[in-house]
Amino acid sequence: MDASVSVPSSGKSLVRRIQRHRAIYVLLVIPITYFIIFKYIPIWNGQIAFKNFMPRQGVLGSAWIGFANFVEFFDSFYFWELLRNTVMYSVGKLLISIPLSIMLAIMLYECRITVLRKTVQTLAYLPHFLSWVIMYGILLGLLAPGDGLLNDIAKAFGGRGIDYLTNVQAFPWVVLLSDAWKEMGWGAIIFIAALMAIDPTLFEAAIVEGATAWQRVRYITLPSILPVIIMVVLLRLGTILSGGFNQLYMLYSPSVYSVGDIIDTWVFRGLQEGKFALATAVGLFKGLMGLLLLTFSNRMTRKVSGSSLY
Amino acid sequence: MGTKRMLLVAMMVGLLLCTPLVAQAQREASGAGPVDIELWYGAAITEAGPPPEDWVGFQIIKDKLGINLKLTALPSNEADQDVKVSAAAAADNLPDIFMVRREVWLRLVNQGMLAPVDDLYAKMPTRTPLQYDADSIGFTTIDGVSYGLASPGSIPRNEGVLIRKDWLDKLGLKVPETLDDYMQVMKAFTFNDPDGNGKHDTYGYGAFIEINNFEEGLGRRMDPFFGAFGVAGTWNMTKADFGLNVRKGKYYDAMAFIKRMVDDGVIDPNWLAYKKDDFRAAWKQGRFGIMREQNAAFAATSNYAPFDKNFPDGEWIVADPPKGPEGKQAVGVYTSQYRVYAISDRVTAEKKDAIARLLDWMSSKEGYYLLGWGVEGVNYTLKDGIPVAAGVPDPELAFTGPKGQPYTQLRNMVFYNGEVELTSRYPTYKTATSGKEMSALRVLVDMQSRPWTAAIASDTLPPPSTDLKRFYEQGVTEFITGRRALNKANWDAWVAEFDKLGGKAWEEEARSVAAANGLLR
Repeated sequence: MDASVSVPSSGKSLVRRIQRHRAIYVLLVIPITYFIIFKYIPIWNGQIAFKNFMPRQGVLGSAWIGFANFVEFFDSFYFWELLRNTVMYSVGKLLISIPLSIMLAIMLYECRITVLRKTVQTLAYLPHFLSWVIMYGILLGLLAPGDGLLNDIAKAFGGRGIDYLTNVQAFPWVVLLSDAWKEMGWGAIIFIAALMAIDPTLFEAAIVEGATAWQRVRYITLPSILPVIIMVVLLRLGTILSGGFNQLYMLYSPSVYSVGDIIDTWVFRGLQEGKFALATAVGLFKGLMGLLLLTFSNRMTRKVSGSSLY
Repeated sequence: MGTKRMLLVAMMVGLLLCTPLVAQAQREASGAGPVDIELWYGAAITEAGPPPEDWVGFQIIKDKLGINLKLTALPSNEADQDVKVSAAAAADNLPDIFMVRREVWLRLVNQGMLAPVDDLYAKMPTRTPLQYDADSIGFTTIDGVSYGLASPGSIPRNEGVLIRKDWLDKLGLKVPETLDDYMQVMKAFTFNDPDGNGKHDTYGYGAFIEINNFEEGLGRRMDPFFGAFGVAGTWNMTKADFGLNVRKGKYYDAMAFIKRMVDDGVIDPNWLAYKKDDFRAAWKQGRFGIMREQNAAFAATSNYAPFDKNFPDGEWIVADPPKGPEGKQAVGVYTSQYRVYAISDRVTAEKKDAIARLLDWMSSKEGYYLLGWGVEGVNYTLKDGIPVAAGVPDPELAFTGPKGQPYTQLRNMVFYNGEVELTSRYPTYKTATSGKEMSALRVLVDMQSRPWTAAIASDTLPPPSTDLKRFYEQGVTEFITGRRALNKANWDAWVAEFDKLGGKAWEEEARSVAAANGLLR
């Protein structure tokens, strides 16, 4: 009897696997097509970051100018301020929104009154579906110095009105807190999903052992969802140089440019002047910085906590 | 079997994708059938939709002119318009004919992406005398070649200073004339409870930041105060004193006056946070008693109605702008308002001829009324030769009604501010609540008769760099809000910094352009 087993070549094996799981591969065609068309083909056009892009001459025909577009960005009178504002909002949102989302998720998870849980959940998700145009109208109603609700209350108690939307001290807080309000509920979804995956017997055992609610959160809930928290934080680090264009573009005005102008709003004003090569250079810079940060943070978290994104 | 089925599906998808391309190629190769013309237009009514697919105009244009017209509305916001057109240019995918603002148009000319249109003027015997003259052709002419069709745009000098007459009467005040008078009235409107509700909820002046390249800094809504010092608008366009107003000494004086308004609390404190709609909602709610507003935004039927409902006894009047210490006054600056339509240099000679046919037909009697008001008997009726909304079977389909408005989205391509248009557009009417007689046309004529500063072609001067523009806008606002202390030393230091950042060079570049094009008076 011949005991030898023929090992198929890897090529044949792949074809066979594709044939066997063809339904899944067909499904995969859609996202792969999307990524090829919208993510990979445009990389080719990224070369205009190094060119004096003239549309009529095309991507290939435009003259190479080396790093001139990058230099224009780095030499901007406002470069450091733009960088500071962008990072401030990205990190600020990370520090405020994520803990709030985790807290909301835990509270919803722990809540045993179904009606209350569902009501809070719906109300918390709702602002995510409002555009920043609508949000601006709401914020103006709440924060306007003349007749905003908050200022009316302050004045009723003898305080004085604060121009939250045009005051450089108050404006960053308006940005950070309004973002937290809008996105906290939506951000909590992923943490709720992670909480659902925790083995309930752990909680039952802890209750039997006399653990308080806080102790259960500290020693079971948080460690269990730590990998998800790390994943969310790492993914956010990849976009650290995107401070939230839609929000800032709606909320800012010349009086708060010093704390409201971020890289993307500056680039947008450049786009109005047709500076596509400059915008591409800035986009490349942002992408590169995001990639470096993500890779570095991933390694660090793997080393420190043993958990990482990849 | 499964693999075959999948292959079959893939082939069908591929065929479906290729069919339009093949059909297009066949049509172009045979030269038969109507010519496709893609038109990006500026909507006349931004809140209404585009002409529906069954609009009778499409069929007429196809049957009579042999053109298959494809319409796309540009965004209502000018900045978004620029981005859309610039993005199409960057992709070398400009439509055949499109509306474009001058700054973007100039860049496209420099990049060689626009077709010369000199030959079209003669091919449009009906349209050219109505829409284009030497000035408008000069507006789009670079080195002797015209690269765009500049039609009359919005009506010039259609804004004015408006004051609440009922508040003046209640407080026993006269219509203010000088800056001091204005300050007194603004204080009275703020602190003397002009609406009599016992609350401190009114202010003297209302505004918001509305900036464009010839009304920089604090924007046009504050220009009546800059006008009192002879420094309204971005540029002084006179031979004797050409330059950026912000670099002139009187600009500081104007800033000091506005700072006083802010410090004394006579300007609506929300003004820096307002967008246009917020500002307009505010005057309709009776928040302030003096403003600069546009004639139709103030007096057109639907715009005035909320104010009339809230304040049946309220009354706004047009007033002269404040007179400054040297007797100067101006509501603001005005320039030649043109609406430029450019043609992509990718269009073939056949398409270019088709565009000329299309535009000429638009200005014919048939096209003018169809695009301007819709179909007679459906969207309008004629009264003494003037299209009116009264008498149509379904009022909602009237050219002023919600269902009728989409049919007139292209009207700005044919209007030239003639008498028929203005009389039709701004009819005299009685307000619903108070029964007052209102006429946006009468208001317009009144506003145009007030003092203005001519800054013709100031909108054609080169724009500042992104950084300089921000420095300018941010700086003047920070002086007004108090973030920077407004005194002569600080102001001079700021102007010096402005110059260092490119302000002086910008002015010199603009001077060269203005001199070379004979723009100085």
